[in-house]
Amino acid sequence: MYGFEALTFNIHGGYLEAVVRGHRSSLLTASDYNNLCQCETLDDIKMHLSATEYGPYLQNEPSPLHTTTIVEKCTLKLVDEYKHMLCQATEPLSTFLEYITYGHMIDNVVLIVTGTLHERDVQELLEKCHPLGMFDSIASLAVAQNMRELYRLVLVDTPLAPYFSECITSEDLDDMNIEIMRNTLYKAYLEDFYKFCKKLGGATAEIMTDLLAFEADKRAVNITINSIGTELTRDDRKKLYSNFGLLYPYGHEELAVCEDVDQVRGALEKYPAYQSIFAKLSYGESQMLDKAFYEEEVKRLCLAFEQQFHYGVFFAYMRLREQEIRNLMWISECVAQNQKSRVHDSVVFIF
Amino acid sequence: MWLSIKRGAQNFSSHLRSLDGLLGVHRSQIKIKFSVKTSRRIRHLIVKMSGQSQRLNVVPTVTMLGIMKARLVGATRGHALLKKKSDALTVQFRAILKKIVSTKESMGEIMKSSAFALTEAKYVAGENIKHIVLENVQNASLKVRSRQENVAGVKLPKFEYFTEGETKNDLTGLARGGQQVQQCRAAYVKAIEVLVELASLQTSFLTLDEAIKTTNRRVNALENVVKPRMENTITYIKGELDELEREDFFRLKKIQGYKKREIEKQMAAAKQYAEEQVAEKVSLKKGISINSAHNLLSKTVEKDEDIIF
Repeated sequence: MYGFEALTFNIHGGYLEAVVRGHRSSLLTASDYNNLCQCETLDDIKMHLSATEYGPYLQNEPSPLHTTTIVEKCTLKLVDEYKHMLCQATEPLSTFLEYITYGHMIDNVVLIVTGTLHERDVQELLEKCHPLGMFDSIASLAVAQNMRELYRLVLVDTPLAPYFSECITSEDLDDMNIEIMRNTLYKAYLEDFYKFCKKLGGATAEIMTDLLAFEADKRAVNITINSIGTELTRDDRKKLYSNFGLLYPYGHEELAVCEDVDQVRGALEKYPAYQSIFAKLSYGESQMLDKAFYEEEVKRLCLAFEQQFHYGVFFAYMRLREQEIRNLMWISECVAQNQKSRVHDSVVFIF
Repeated sequence: MWLSIKRGAQNFSSHLRSLDGLLGVHRSQIKIKFSVKTSRRIRHLIVKMSGQSQRLNVVPTVTMLGIMKARLVGATRGHALLKKKSDALTVQFRAILKKIVSTKESMGEIMKSSAFALTEAKYVAGENIKHIVLENVQNASLKVRSRQENVAGVKLPKFEYFTEGETKNDLTGLARGGQQVQQCRAAYVKAIEVLVELASLQTSFLTLDEAIKTTNRRVNALENVVKPRMENTITYIKGELDELEREDFFRLKKIQGYKKREIEKQMAAAKQYAEEQVAEKVSLKKGISINSAHNLLSKTVEKDEDIIF
């Protein structure tokens, strides 16, 4: 029912949309980033951040501050905001919010499974998990001895169950390379999310499908470039590409046979949206590709806030917050390692 | 005067008894001091003379002189060789020192750049990349091996690293950040190279230091203790031998003197006897007393001016 959301959206989603827009306005601006880049020590950074929304989270930290502490506390803030929103949400918004965190959940599951395979301690593994991706039975992942048990005992109750059953039979789980497993799961997750958003319809569907398509294409390009020269066969590579997006299906055909970064560039130049990304890189260089993708993503995420009455703002807010935390991590590491000249290499200004 | 007696000497009272005769000093005036430092090979007691360096207490014979001279030659040759060894080691030492300084500087740079490569990887691939990589590892693929190198006679340890097995996880960060992870890996491999080299340089430095100290100690010992001792012993032996010779010579001369006097006495006695015989004959012939015969003879011995023929 496109166009009539204004009538009914605010009944269930109005409060949370307002909350999210309020959070969005507290994202750090370019002038904040400039101030942070001028800092000489981590204590200066802490001082600047205490003037922003991060103040209450950082002010109790003892003085020899470590970059990982800063990142941890900022992530904690994000988790708190997310939990608050999740509590207040109703269907279908609550499902939507949960979908946003499945990516982190997949990462956590894979981490614990590999750790258990190599006989590491469960408590240590749990500490290393991303807080957004925690679920209740996560600790029992460590109990399972092999993949079949793992699936039967634990995963079948989690929301990740359908991803496992769709794409992986239980024999594969034992031998398959961890990265391939992670990427197959993520592909299934993206496709599922895409379907869910389409079902929601309206402005949400339009904006979210756009954002998810960009995500899928970005992953396809990255997978291609990172698997050049490794043992990953072309068929395996193709299996990891999602079945939606701008590049589907013809772009995927071309990407699957690429053996070189320049070939990838050639394949992507047919899509004007991505052409601008590659124009920023000179020939043969692929280091800054990730940063270029992040910049493009941030632009699109900001555009999502231009419209009202859709769920895309929540997704966009989470992603923007994550980017901000990445920026903060980069700035603090540069300051801590005395590499101030490289600070501007990777900071993506949100606005 | 004091003596030093080797550890393990039994019954040093008997030593005392023999020694006081040798030294011409009464037993009560000899003080005993135990010294642990006497050389294994030299089983003689070392005598300290006031104000000079020591000499060995040996029997001053010609054979002993030969032995001592041979020992001195050995000590001199050993001293020269050890000095050469010490010089060679010092040269190596300085070279290693220079290399250590330059390697340490480059290590600082490389560690900085590899830490930064890790930051880049974390930025692109997410904070968890460290944990993901760590959890996936079974055992180390870069290992360090040590071997011995012989430098101027000193065994120096040298470390080198080698890759064992291949690294799986080429696919780490497949969807994002794979490139950065590989770059980070390369940076840290370089860092390991430098660290291993620095480790072997530093251990060689320490070992060489020890070796140089020992060698210098030996050189100084030879130069300042052993050789003077040998020389003093040789001088002493020569002195004793000379003295013995002089004694012999003196004895000989004295005996010769005695013998000469004996002979003269005998000759004088024989002459007197002959004279008496002649006097007896004359007295018998002329019928005068022996005394007047003696006088006659003696007068004929002294030339009488009145007697013409």
